[in-house]
Amino acid sequence: MIRLNDLKISYRIGSRVIDAVDGVSLTIPEGCIVGIAGESGSGKSTLMKAIYGDIQAPMYISRGSIDYGFKGSDGKPVTTANIRDEWFKTISYVPQSSMNSLNPVIRIGKQFTDFPGTDRDKKRVLERATAFLGKLGLPAEVMTSYPHQLSGGMRQRVMIGLATFFQPGLIIADEPTTALDVVVQKEILMLLMELQEEMNNTILVVSHDMGVHYQVTHKMLIMYAGKVVEYGDTESVFADPQHAYTKMLIDSLPTIGDDSMRGVMASAAGAGGDRAFGVGTGLVEVKPNHFVSLANETAGVPA
Amino acid sequence: MGVLRYVAKRLGLYLAVLFIGLTITFMLPRLMPTNPVDGYIGQLQSRANGTLTSEAIAEMRTNLEQLYGLNGDIFTQYVGYLKRVVLQFDFGPSFTYYPQPVSAMILNALPWTLGLLLTATFIAWVLGNMVGLVAGYFHKKRAASVLEFLGILLYPIPYYILAVTVLLLLAYIFPIFPLSPTFPVGQMTPEKIGMIFYNSLLPGITLVLAGFGWNILSMKALAVATTEEPYVTYARLKGASNWTRMTRYVFRNALLPQVTALALSLGMVFNGALLTEMIFSYPGIGLIMRTAATGGDYNVLYGAITLSIIAVATAGLVIDLIYPLLDPRIRHK
Ligand SMILES: Nc1ncnc2c1ncn2[C@@H]1O[C@H](COP(=O)(O)OP(=O)(O)OP(=O)(O)O)[C@@H](O)[C@H]1O
Ligand SMILES: [Mg+2]
Repeated sequence: MIRLNDLKISYRIGSRVIDAVDGVSLTIPEGCIVGIAGESGSGKSTLMKAIYGDIQAPMYISRGSIDYGFKGSDGKPVTTANIRDEWFKTISYVPQSSMNSLNPVIRIGKQFTDFPGTDRDKKRVLERATAFLGKLGLPAEVMTSYPHQLSGGMRQRVMIGLATFFQPGLIIADEPTTALDVVVQKEILMLLMELQEEMNNTILVVSHDMGVHYQVTHKMLIMYAGKVVEYGDTESVFADPQHAYTKMLIDSLPTIGDDSMRGVMASAAGAGGDRAFGVGTGLVEVKPNHFVSLANETAGVPA
Repeated sequence: MGVLRYVAKRLGLYLAVLFIGLTITFMLPRLMPTNPVDGYIGQLQSRANGTLTSEAIAEMRTNLEQLYGLNGDIFTQYVGYLKRVVLQFDFGPSFTYYPQPVSAMILNALPWTLGLLLTATFIAWVLGNMVGLVAGYFHKKRAASVLEFLGILLYPIPYYILAVTVLLLLAYIFPIFPLSPTFPVGQMTPEKIGMIFYNSLLPGITLVLAGFGWNILSMKALAVATTEEPYVTYARLKGASNWTRMTRYVFRNALLPQVTALALSLGMVFNGALLTEMIFSYPGIGLIMRTAATGGDYNVLYGAITLSIIAVATAGLVIDLIYPLLDPRIRHK
């Protein structure tokens, strides 16, 4: 379980401060896939970085805190201060650019052993990693290959393999499939889903693709302008979206033969620019496990 | 592609480059408006105050004509020229030190130049890359900019100013090294070797300092760019230590262009030799070239030019052969 307490994350650029995440309070239960969607620049990556514990200048936590309800590999409770020691032990990360995230001059196998998370017996790690990648549908030769010899999909499988190899309790995937073609995208996400079912860990996955979210996630978290505007069980959110921005996101999902939403999106975006949708200060539970930011919901929307 | 095929292809290219270089040196005397042979003999006569016998002159003429391939038709000339240069490394006698053969002069001077210049170039490269790597990897830390400053300071100083300054400083103001060092020749004894080593330190230091700055700046720029690569960020998020990231991620990738630079500068050592050897009266190819240039000793110059062509082409070959070992993306093409 992860609890965010009135979390505010800012970037300091010179004397200017940007509040990228502005007062987020919510609880993420254990063992579920949480999908995060929201407009570009709404603070999704910033929130993921903060939860992963990659907090470094110019980014900082300006208010609130994150409670990690799990213990690290040494048995001590994980906190923002010591979470770096848990990287690729109890918490791992799938980067966006699978294309360039592997060192081009080092064999894949070695990239399983060159960080502190792995145990000292490199040979044993390599054997286990080979077997593990086999389960992910990668042939043993991959271990002795260089990244450029693999396809984009294979590389992203390797990234998923690296992230899940240590059976972490929490995996953060920030747009893990953006660079891949649609079919491979689906494959990778299904793989992530299967692994999650097997390991029963928590996965936070950022994506702009609402279809992906619908298929893969248990819970949805919608961000808008640095705030969480809606958070709830995926089924509930898709069946009965509460916030105007969520509605727009879901409505924008193409239904074959239906063009009617294009006009709506265009007018919504055109009408008020960045702040076309109202955002409240706190989340209200409108249904069981379904929260929405309701305050002055209509205030910002021009007629 | 098979390794053998790759090597064969590179070797073929190497020989082709050498061949073209030699062909151009063959053409050069032909493009000159005057006949160099007559020019030489005239000069030689006046130097010898007209005491040369006509037999000696005739012998010289044949010798020179043969070297420049001036007898027979152009094809025979060309084949003869290639044969002499390639098979015997024969450039005829020196004009200034007649009748010493040019090839012997060059071969005597070669170990001196290579010993000093190659070593210094290599040390400058290793040190410069180490400093540049640290400066680039930690470019966000203020302390690291001190290292870069070293490069910014050294790089723009022209070599002769640097060399003379170091000479003044370490041989005149603080007389640690001799102002005009002697380099004993002939049979080597331990004392002689020690003396050569000691006296080579001063020119060596100037060369290292001169090459150092460029290597720092170049490696620093490459390392800064590489630290921004997603695979370095990912390594950080994997929890890889600074040391692992700096050496195995940033260095291994930033190294690739620097290897090319090293090989090229090793190929160019004869350019550097000229100034260094003049300033420190170091008995290498550079000194020979200087004497040859002032004395119009064309045979020696042709020998040196040929040597330079060989050096540059060999450097290219070495790059081609080493690069695949460092970069798997090229190895698997
Ligand atoms: N390194 C940084 N320095 C300064 N500002 C930043 C930095 N990273 C992000 N920001 C700012 O923080 C805000 C949120 O950015 P973030 O990357 O979290 O958005 P996002 O929701 O992930 O967007 P996208 O969907 O485009 O990935 C943006 O306004 C951005 O300009
Ligand atoms: Mg993002």
